[in-house]
Amino acid sequence: MAPEVLPKPRMRGLLARRLRNHMAVAFMLSLGVAALYKFRVADQRKKAYADFYRNYDVMKDFEEMRKAGIFQSVK
Amino acid sequence: MAHAAQVGLQDATSPIMEELIIFHDHALMIIFLICFLVLYALFLTLTTKLTNTSISDAQEMETVWTILPAIILVLIALPSLRILYMTDEVNDPSFTIKSIGHQWYWTYEYTDYGGLIFNSYMLPPLFLEPGDLRLLDVDNRVVLPVEAPVRMMITSQDVLHSWAVPTLGLKTDAIPGRLNQTTFTATRPGVYYGQCSEICGANHSFMPIVLELIPLKIFEMGPVFTL
Repeated sequence: MAPEVLPKPRMRGLLARRLRNHMAVAFMLSLGVAALYKFRVADQRKKAYADFYRNYDVMKDFEEMRKAGIFQSVK
Repeated sequence: MAHAAQVGLQDATSPIMEELIIFHDHALMIIFLICFLVLYALFLTLTTKLTNTSISDAQEMETVWTILPAIILVLIALPSLRILYMTDEVNDPSFTIKSIGHQWYWTYEYTDYGGLIFNSYMLPPLFLEPGDLRLLDVDNRVVLPVEAPVRMMITSQDVLHSWAVPTLGLKTDAIPGRLNQTTFTATRPGVYYGQCSEICGANHSFMPIVLELIPLKIFEMGPVFTL
């Protein structure tokens, strides 16, 4: 009865293959990290500034601060 | 001013500072990208038993890791230069104030419409009122208008100082024998703080800057300078 022959395992280039595959994953993940920061932090901050200044009333803000007593030059 | 344990930039009070914050976000995004890549590569190196002690001739990889950093540097340089030139734009300031650094206080001169000159010393701890900020508050604040371009001429009478207000994105060296100019347009009223930013002796940390920004029409009425 002939013994079952297993396929010859891969014996060369193991490190190169590992690095090639993982570097592709690393690039994709790092682009993902950058995209996450851009959309969740940077774009949110730009939107927060735009929303703040859209209906901003300088005199109203100033009057609130003046009543709170923070200014020395105007009481 | 910064709140306790703050690590990020202060909220912007001028359009230039808003641009600087956006640029900082852009540069930090690139930093996170590179750091993640490097940490991942380090993790790969530390979690394998596979080795290759005869690596040579990796021309493709060498090309990639030369071209890619060059592209990243260009992506950082272009917005940086844009903001640099934006800060030098001629915007016809409506008001000029001189700021003169001394050891260890600032002198401010309002000479456009009169001859107001005063010194601004840090409030010593014994002179603080409840609510005053230790090491930040001063006896005489710089009162300036909001939504009007202001020009600051900065110099020093003795050694190097630097006039800095982080929320406006300003930092200009005060150099004896030289007049440096910086301009800004504030967008919000309030009280804003800065500190001397060039080592100038024993009390370098004790010569702060305090700006009181008030609406232009209130400023034009001539607020009372508490001198």
